Amino acid sequence: MQDYHDFIDEVLVDEKAIETRVAELGAQISRAYAGQELLIVCLLRGGLTFTADLTRHLTIPHTLDCMSLSSYGVGRYASSGNVRVNLDLMTNIEGLNVLLVEDIVDSGRTLAHVLHILKTREPKSLQVCVLLDKKYRREVPVEVDYVGFDIPDKYVFGYGIDIDEHYRHLRFIASADMKKYKKTP
Amino acid sequence: MQDYKDFLAEILIDEQTLQTRIKELAEEINRDYKGKDLLLICILRGGIVFLVDLMRHINVPHQLDFMAVSSYGAGARQSGGSVRLSLDLKTDIRSKDVILVEDIVDSGNTIAYVLEFLQTRQPRSLKVCTLLDKEGRRETPVQIHYRGFRIPNKFVFGYGLDLDDYYRNLPFIAVVDLKKYQPPA
Repeated sequence: MQDYHDFIDEVLVDEKAIETRVAELGAQISRAYAGQELLIVCLLRGGLTFTADLTRHLTIPHTLDCMSLSSYGVGRYASSGNVRVNLDLMTNIEGLNVLLVEDIVDSGRTLAHVLHILKTREPKSLQVCVLLDKKYRREVPVEVDYVGFDIPDKYVFGYGIDIDEHYRHLRFIASADMKKYKKTP
Repeated sequence: MQDYKDFLAEILIDEQTLQTRIKELAEEINRDYKGKDLLLICILRGGIVFLVDLMRHINVPHQLDFMAVSSYGAGARQSGGSVRLSLDLKTDIRSKDVILVEDIVDSGNTIAYVLEFLQTRQPRSLKVCTLLDKEGRRETPVQIHYRGFRIPNKFVFGYGLDLDDYYRNLPFIAVVDLKKYQPPA
């Protein structure tokens, strides 16, 4: 595997900035749902690190569930739009406050699909929290209620976000120079 | 939902001790897997918090994958014999060095089943890393290669481990006083 130093373009959000912002989001969500209960839905696999850290800052009662999705199209570069549910929720969300937690919103296609699926199950409320928002890439309008950082249209990795399944463990979010990146065989 | 302080018997492992030990485990893994092709497998949902923190200290190249299993029939607090695989791995583990990351090994029934199942796919190596080991409860022998803590046969929660799906976000491992605990309605 290539050392990330070989292809890193720049650190977009450093560890300290992530920690501070995640704590702020946790506090904001705790205030918004004060006196209520919340189901956190983590979208695997990218949203995992963010979810684990975010929930540690929640002061309200909450439960956790996970969904795993994939596109029927090809990889991360192009989303066909249709979404396959690999792992559905264990929880029946009817009548619950649901907060969907994602690492990144890009075209918005996947997110729009999931929201549509979840809405048909009639939750009491359904909101979205994303760590990173690539607004310029949006193709489908989706309402995002909590945003960690707006980021430019760059290929990013770290803090749960992978490149070909690697580099998720890095504590910061960086952009990659894909001309220098070589896929591990 | 009840405040955890209402039924807290004791804090078994505090935050600092957990974090120190997790770093040590990761360093052991870093030494053992230098130059190998490591895949970390997390069993949802209890193992998430441990996995995220462990992974941040792992600096050998590694990938991440998930499995979700449930028991046929038996309730949340018992581990029945048969295991239903609700989410299988995305990765083909043949010839990979695999570590199964678990929050807790109790009877060992579920993990023994999962290990046997994974073994049929012929990984190069297959090891187990668990944060907590309740050895006193073991019904099926399981070899544990990386162990965070041996704990007594007490009902524990926090740090990814839930009580009726709540309290996963607490930064420590605590023991429940079951006489004082009231499950949510």
